[in-house]
Amino acid sequence: MTMPPTLLARAGFRAPGTEDFQWPAIWTIHLDGFTLEINRTALLMILAAVAVLVLFLIAFRRPRVVPRGAQNLVEVGVDFVRRQIILEVIGRDGLRFLPYLTTLFFFIFFANVLEIVPGINFPATSRMALPAFLAILSWLLFNWVGIRSQGLGRYLRNTILPPGIPWPLYFLIAPIEFVSTLIVRPVTLSVRLLANMIAGHLILAVFFLGTVYLIERPATAVFAVPAFVMAVALVGFELIVALLQAYIFTILTAVYLAGALEPEH
Amino acid sequence: MAGSPDGKGPGGAEVAWSIIGLLLAGVIAWGGIGWLVDKWAGTNVFLPVGILVGAAGAFYLVIRRYGRG
Repeated sequence: MTMPPTLLARAGFRAPGTEDFQWPAIWTIHLDGFTLEINRTALLMILAAVAVLVLFLIAFRRPRVVPRGAQNLVEVGVDFVRRQIILEVIGRDGLRFLPYLTTLFFFIFFANVLEIVPGINFPATSRMALPAFLAILSWLLFNWVGIRSQGLGRYLRNTILPPGIPWPLYFLIAPIEFVSTLIVRPVTLSVRLLANMIAGHLILAVFFLGTVYLIERPATAVFAVPAFVMAVALVGFELIVALLQAYIFTILTAVYLAGALEPEH
Repeated sequence: MAGSPDGKGPGGAEVAWSIIGLLLAGVIAWGGIGWLVDKWAGTNVFLPVGILVGAAGAFYLVIRRYGRG
C-alpha cells in the first residue's frame, strides 16, 4: 500500500477535495440519444428556484400599501436592487431590468446560502453549470440591449473602439477591447462566483472535519474547541459572502447593461 | 445620465478586478493573434511578441481609463 502523500493524511485526516463536490446520480433518465442524471446539485438548483418563487408568491399574494411580514422583507430586497443597483448604475432607463436583476440577485443568494443551511451544506453555485449559465444569460442580455439600442454596427464599433483613442492605435486596441468585453466579462462573472463558493465550501469542510478529527483523539481534543469556534465564525462569514457574491454578480450585470445602453464617455 | 460605470458599485476592489481583466484580455487577444500567425507561418516568434504587444496595449488602456484622477 502506498504511503499517503501528506503528513496529515498519514495521521488519518481526510482533507476535503474535489470529490466533495461530486454527487452520485439519484435519478437517471434515458432520453433518445443522451442520458440525463439528476443528482444533489441539480435538486439544489431546483430548490433555490422554487424557494425564490414561493417567497415572492407569499410576499405579494395580498399586497398592502403599507407592507407587513414577508412583503415587507421582500420589498427591502427589491428596493435595494432598484435603488442601489439600477438607479445608481444605469439610471431610470434601467428600471425595465428590475425583474431580471431582482430575480438574479435573490436566486444567486439562495443558491449560495444553501452552503450554510443545516442538512444541505452545499452551494448549488459551486458547480460551474449554474454560474456559467447565469453569466451567459447576462452576456446575452447586455449584448442584445446594446444591439437593440445602438444598432449592431454602432454597438460593435463603440465596444471595440472606445472614443478618445488616437486613431493609429485602433488596430492595437480593437482586439483587446473585443476580448475584454465579449470574452473576459462572462468568464470572470462566472469564475468569480464559482471560486468564492468552492473556497467557502472547502474551508467550512476543513474546519468542521478538523473539529471532528481533533476531538476523536485524546491528545488533540482540546484543540477541537478553537477549531469549532473558527467553524462557527466561518458560517457567519459565508453568509456574508453569499450575499456579497449575489450583489457583485447583479451589480456587474447592471454595469455591463449601462455600458451597452450608453457608449463609453 | 448614468455615472461612470466603474466609479460606483462595490468600490475599489472592482476596479482592481477590471484592471486584471483588461490586462488578461490584452495578453489573450494579442497572444492569440500571435499564436495563430505562428501556426500559419510556421514561426515561433509571434506568440511572445503578441503577448508583449497585448500587454503594452492593455497597460495603455488601463492608464487611459483609470490613470487620470
